[in-house]
Amino acid sequence: MSADAMLAIGAALLQAGGMLAAAPLLRTAIKKMKARLQNRQGPPLLQGYYDLAKLLRKETVRSDTSSWVYVAGPRIYFATVVAATTLIPVLVAAAPLEATGGILLLVGTLALGRFALATAALDTGSPFGGMGASRDMTIAALAEPALMLGLFSSALSAGTMNLGVLVRELVLQGPSWHPGDLLAFAGLFIIVIAETGRIPVDNPATHLELTMIHEAMVLEYAGPDLALVEWASAVKELVYLTLLVNLFLPVGIAMSLEPVPLLVALVAWAGKVFLLAVAVTLVESTNAKLRLFRVPELVSVSLGLAFLALAIRFL
Amino acid sequence: MTANVLILCAAGMLVTAYLMVGQKALFTTIRLFGLQSLLLALVAATIAIAESRHELFITAALTVTLKAILIPWFLMRTVDRIGIHREIEPFLNVPASLLICLGLTVVGYRVSTGFQEGAREVGHHLIGVALSLLLIGLFMMVTRKKAITQILALLTVENAVFLVAVGVTSGMPLIVELGISFDVILAVLLLGVLVQRIVGRFESMDISRLSKLKG
Repeated sequence: MSADAMLAIGAALLQAGGMLAAAPLLRTAIKKMKARLQNRQGPPLLQGYYDLAKLLRKETVRSDTSSWVYVAGPRIYFATVVAATTLIPVLVAAAPLEATGGILLLVGTLALGRFALATAALDTGSPFGGMGASRDMTIAALAEPALMLGLFSSALSAGTMNLGVLVRELVLQGPSWHPGDLLAFAGLFIIVIAETGRIPVDNPATHLELTMIHEAMVLEYAGPDLALVEWASAVKELVYLTLLVNLFLPVGIAMSLEPVPLLVALVAWAGKVFLLAVAVTLVESTNAKLRLFRVPELVSVSLGLAFLALAIRFL
Repeated sequence: MTANVLILCAAGMLVTAYLMVGQKALFTTIRLFGLQSLLLALVAATIAIAESRHELFITAALTVTLKAILIPWFLMRTVDRIGIHREIEPFLNVPASLLICLGLTVVGYRVSTGFQEGAREVGHHLIGVALSLLLIGLFMMVTRKKAITQILALLTVENAVFLVAVGVTSGMPLIVELGISFDVILAVLLLGVLVQRIVGRFESMDISRLSKLKG
């Protein structure tokens, strides 16, 4: 094995580990900020880790009618999300495994995880699982093309589909100041909210099965299986936010592997993700959840914006 | 730098217009219009600083106080008083409206290349966005049923005209601008009263019911 490949694998392991470690903190931070906006104290910042530890210690309970699909679901979902963390640039303007593929591989990987979870939800035959899966797919069918078009708009400005090369180009060129950037950002921000199950689309804290989307899909899971799903969802949220800040605001990202730029990049990344998390919290706190039939309208707005972002670059 | 801020603000105005088309809650639509006017004021202020045209500061101040604060406040009060908070099903559903608006934006951008100013980088985007806003505003006026949304559509068209006047031409005389500002506020006041009368008569803001007034 060549030295480059060794370096890439080492970087991928480090990056995946770092994202896995940081993700529960992001979830809890958003919960905490939301609680403070409602004049509540909120959970301690480490609550996400306590919850995961608690779930991982519990015994596994599975429905008698379920098959291997049900067991495989959370594992595939977790694996795809971990794979996705290695396909995006986080601290360095290069993705560890960028040689394997770019935007299409990232979107496809995330889609595979969603497919695995939806089939697993159908497997038990529980009506809530089926309902959740059907709803999740309805939204995904609109959100996925919007995600692709929004990312293509950025790809067009740099002339490459590879996320690592793309961010490097964006840093070298400087900001392009094209209306397409803002349109794509607005479109992708709506997608992030829809894909991570945040309020105008889905309520992550709901206990009412009839209004659930993502929660309804994983209603049957318990113990370590549930821990995998929750953890993967948190990492997915972090992946989306990281992608957004690094594509549209690649300020402070490290161009070399020296300690000082890396430290600056770490601070810049944490700060930018935090700012975006504040934006997500504000949207969540100031909006009411949409009726399910209104959700496709919201997602179609983002599809429109993403399409326009792409079209405007040719006009 | 100036050009970048101008393009960013113009793009922001286009985004707010799209969000307005995709919205049915009246309060959010009114707030989006306020944001759009704020961005317009930012365009005027940026040009005022860059080209040291001080009269544009007055334009910016007028835009902020009238269109970003006063008119949204007045419209929200009207909505609160009549107690109707949502747009009913428009003549065209949201995805179809968005598709048409996409087409309108493409038309606006293509047409902007025909202007002499539209050949330059900034002028191209400013005229393109302004024409798109104009067409989207007209389109919203035709397809929405609520009187409040129609007022907002009219104001969007007004914003579009203002964007071209401020951003591309050397600007209107101050007296004309003042006149237009008072025209707009008078129009909104009158339309607000008209809305309340329509609601009082039909217990709905649906202007398609006005055709029942025919004998």
